[in-house]
Amino acid sequence: MDEVLESYQNAFVEAFELEDKSQLSTLKYQSIEEWDSIGHMALMAELEVQFGITIKTEDLIQFESYNQGVDILARYNVSITL
Amino acid sequence: MSLLQKPLVVQKFRDFHDYVKNNDGKIGLKQRGLDMNLNNGCNLKCEHCFTLSPQGLNTKERIPVEKVKDIGDQADELGIFEIDLQGGELLLNKEYLFDVLNALGTERFYVYLTTNGYFMTSEIATKLAELGVDRVSVSIDSMDPETHDTFRGKKGSWERAINALKLVQEEGIAPYLNITVGRYNVDSDDLRLLLEYSKDNRYTTLLNIATPGGMWRNMHEICINDEDSHHLINMRKHYKNLLRNLWDPFDRNREGVIGCNTVNRLYITPIGDVLPCPYVHIKIGNIFESSLKQISENGFRVKYFREYSEKCLAGEDTTFIKKFMAKEDTTIFAPQLIKDLFSAEEILPDDISLPVPRHYSIMY
Repeated sequence: MDEVLESYQNAFVEAFELEDKSQLSTLKYQSIEEWDSIGHMALMAELEVQFGITIKTEDLIQFESYNQGVDILARYNVSITL
Repeated sequence: MSLLQKPLVVQKFRDFHDYVKNNDGKIGLKQRGLDMNLNNGCNLKCEHCFTLSPQGLNTKERIPVEKVKDIGDQADELGIFEIDLQGGELLLNKEYLFDVLNALGTERFYVYLTTNGYFMTSEIATKLAELGVDRVSVSIDSMDPETHDTFRGKKGSWERAINALKLVQEEGIAPYLNITVGRYNVDSDDLRLLLEYSKDNRYTTLLNIATPGGMWRNMHEICINDEDSHHLINMRKHYKNLLRNLWDPFDRNREGVIGCNTVNRLYITPIGDVLPCPYVHIKIGNIFESSLKQISENGFRVKYFREYSEKCLAGEDTTFIKKFMAKEDTTIFAPQLIKDLFSAEEILPDDISLPVPRHYSIMY
């Protein structure tokens, strides 16, 4: 698997303590119990660590799904191919 | 309402997250919230009421709406991100409550109501959602209606409380099931059944530790001990929807304790007195006389409120309780005063600097 994609997926797995990656593509904010406001902060922190970036608040707010996150991280020159 | 629809709150919550992470998982001097007792009138007679509503204490006073706006402005400047509106029972005066919500600027805060749920209707829930209420907390003592009704002093209160949670959930408001936990129920079937009910219905469960104040003044036997406290942390690992204000909400191991939230989460009474928390009835200022910033700095000068405590001072720290919470005639309306209570050694030098909130202006 592409390393960047793996890092992206690992951020979700770590933040939400997922058992596998099979449901990632359908994940949205509040679609699972773990992705609440606290989980959202945890996810943003994981992504910042994984990619060495600082996510602006306006992007943090727009980051509402696994798929949408790809476009947002592109703004930080993180290129992810799903 | 989704928190992501309140960008100002997201920024302040993020500040809080970053502060706690950078402060070794401790809350330190970071302000987080305000509990506002808008009015002390109530329709129930709960056995453990810490505001003495069952005794009809100061039920006429209300925080004026224009003052609520001012408090909101000051709280926002301090970086406070959550506001808990409570009583008494706020739904006894719903028009006043709606006026308060309009004045508060709910786009700036994660707003919640603590209510017994007795008067909740779908129309009220709809209105609360429209006015920007994010969460409604309802206390439930047992899954046995009779037990709850007896404790609350009114037949039918359990059914209304259970129903209130469903109604707010239908309107997209986060339902929180509040449980008071003490020595008497920490390892009980009642508690387990409540936790299961909350989890099955996708609520969040907030644990409030029983404190020997108000109607339960000097009842020390209700206080949890260290073993109970660890038991609750173990339960937290099992029930992922379980919260205590003392716990680190960001710790994925579900063990971290950010510490007692005295002064980090202020309590304002209907007459404007400010206490370090709802359960510590010691006055640190009055909102009609001083600013929230001045009051907070004054509160943090008391070493017990400033120094890290992994225990809830009012419910677990037996030394603090016996020394500072036993005085007769102490109520939230007649709190003790710092100058009468603490020695010079217990008041730290006057050099408190509250963390400066990041400037936040998000352009859309």
